[in-house]
Amino acid sequence: MISIENLSVKYKSDSDIYTAISGINLMVPDGGTLAIIGPSGCGKSTLLKVVAGLIPDYEGTVHINGEEVNPKKQTIGFMPQNYGLLPWRTVYDNIRLGMKIKRAPELLDRKMLKKLMRQLGIEGLGHRYPVELSGGQQQRVALARVFALQPDVLLMDEPFSALDAITREEMQDIFLKLWHKFNVSTIFVTHYVEEALYLGQRIAVLSANSGNISMILDNPLFGGKDIRQDPEFFAMSLKLRNTVKKDWNQAWEN
Amino acid sequence: MGKLVGMWYLLAAVVLTAIWFVVAQIVDLPIIPSPVRVVENLADIFMQYIAIHSLYSLWRIVAGLLLAVVVGLPMGVLMGYFPKTDKFLAPVVYLTYPVPKIALLPILMLLFGVGDLSKIFMIFLIIVFQVVVAVRDGIRAIPTETYYPLYSLGASFKDIFFEVLWPASLPKFITAIRVALATAISVLFFTETFGTQYGMGYFIMDAWLRVNYLEMYSGIVVLSLLGLILFTTIDFIEKYACDWQYKN
Ligand SMILES: Nc1ncnc2c1ncn2[C@@H]1O[C@H](COP(=O)(O)OP(=O)(O)O)[C@@H](O)[C@H]1O
Ligand SMILES: [Mg+2]
Repeated sequence: MISIENLSVKYKSDSDIYTAISGINLMVPDGGTLAIIGPSGCGKSTLLKVVAGLIPDYEGTVHINGEEVNPKKQTIGFMPQNYGLLPWRTVYDNIRLGMKIKRAPELLDRKMLKKLMRQLGIEGLGHRYPVELSGGQQQRVALARVFALQPDVLLMDEPFSALDAITREEMQDIFLKLWHKFNVSTIFVTHYVEEALYLGQRIAVLSANSGNISMILDNPLFGGKDIRQDPEFFAMSLKLRNTVKKDWNQAWEN
Repeated sequence: MGKLVGMWYLLAAVVLTAIWFVVAQIVDLPIIPSPVRVVENLADIFMQYIAIHSLYSLWRIVAGLLLAVVVGLPMGVLMGYFPKTDKFLAPVVYLTYPVPKIALLPILMLLFGVGDLSKIFMIFLIIVFQVVVAVRDGIRAIPTETYYPLYSLGASFKDIFFEVLWPASLPKFITAIRVALATAISVLFFTETFGTQYGMGYFIMDAWLRVNYLEMYSGIVVLSLLGLILFTTIDFIEKYACDWQYKN
């Protein structure tokens, strides 16, 4: 479980202080997913970085399974905006990086790792370097890395936005399959309404410039079969898109 | 690929020797002996007279190089990774970096004597600054996001070093050594012309003073072979350790 209470983050430079997010309250139950949607620059990455333990300087409380965030204690699977693969490590070494650092090679044995790579369609790419992969393949390697860790929480920053539309939908399905299997509490950031509706049990909308949450909604469509074809999915997308638009426009006018 | 590179080296050697040969024929003076005679002479005297000198030179270069790496690498890492250390050390480095190291030779000789120690320290001084600056800049060029997956896993500094800092700065580090080594070899030649009875510098100057041009040229050939061995070793290490750089 991830619980965030009254979280604020300020970026301090020599000359001024900038409040990136303020007064955020969020909760992700065990094995749930939360989509965070918001315009560029509203603090989505900042929020995710706090939960990932990358910004220790915050106000409020952020708990993972009842304990304060601590990358040394918890296993946090963080997938940054550009996948975060090390260019000087092969695919295989990149996937094993997490286990190596956690000193937990027993987490997944070779066979399981092979199976994971097969499920992700990258079993033949183990000896390649990231530059030798397409964007979609890099994405798959990054997914393999975080899932191989069997993390307490999974955090993904705009995971599929750099992919073309068809690859993106494919990756969303692959993600859902793995998520069902490993059942890990997940927060992901997106700026696609459809992605939020497809992958998020709950959806939090961040407002444009006040740095807090303007609404949280439970997603009734989540988990349904082939919901992307469902007329209701279209209707929901449209409704969410309009709400979000109105919210962001309002914020800009103020 | 490897074979092809070897071919080019061979071709270059053949062309250079041919030019040398032609010039020797035209000039026809003892100061430029024919390469054939030099090679014959080299074969005759290498084991007996030259080998020991080349080992001395090699030892001085390798010792100076290792010392420079042992000191320069940690300094570069500290300066590149911890901005506070850089603030403190950068002025020191930049004030001393441009000083022509050869100008310090008299001081080094007063401090360490005219023997091996001052020669090794000279090579150290030439290489160490390049290593510090290259490693520091290599680390500074790493995008912050590269560290995120490691930080969020609670990585220790040791992990950060071996997974990110070392591999990221290795190409620049090797290039720096390659560049500095060329200077180091010429300076070594100079320092070996006094205060020692051993080393390629001594051998070549001694042959010259004895007006034995055949031996002098044999020494020059050995010195360039020594350089060739060092540079190809570095190339080989780079190809092996930085192979990710050559994919695309
Ligand atoms: N390291 C930083 N220092 C100062 N300001 C920052 C820093 N990182 C982000 N910001 C600012 O904080 C705000 C939120 O950034 P971010 O969380 O990256 O937004 P998003 O991911 O929603 O696009 C932006 O206005 C950005 O300029
Ligand atoms: Mg962002």
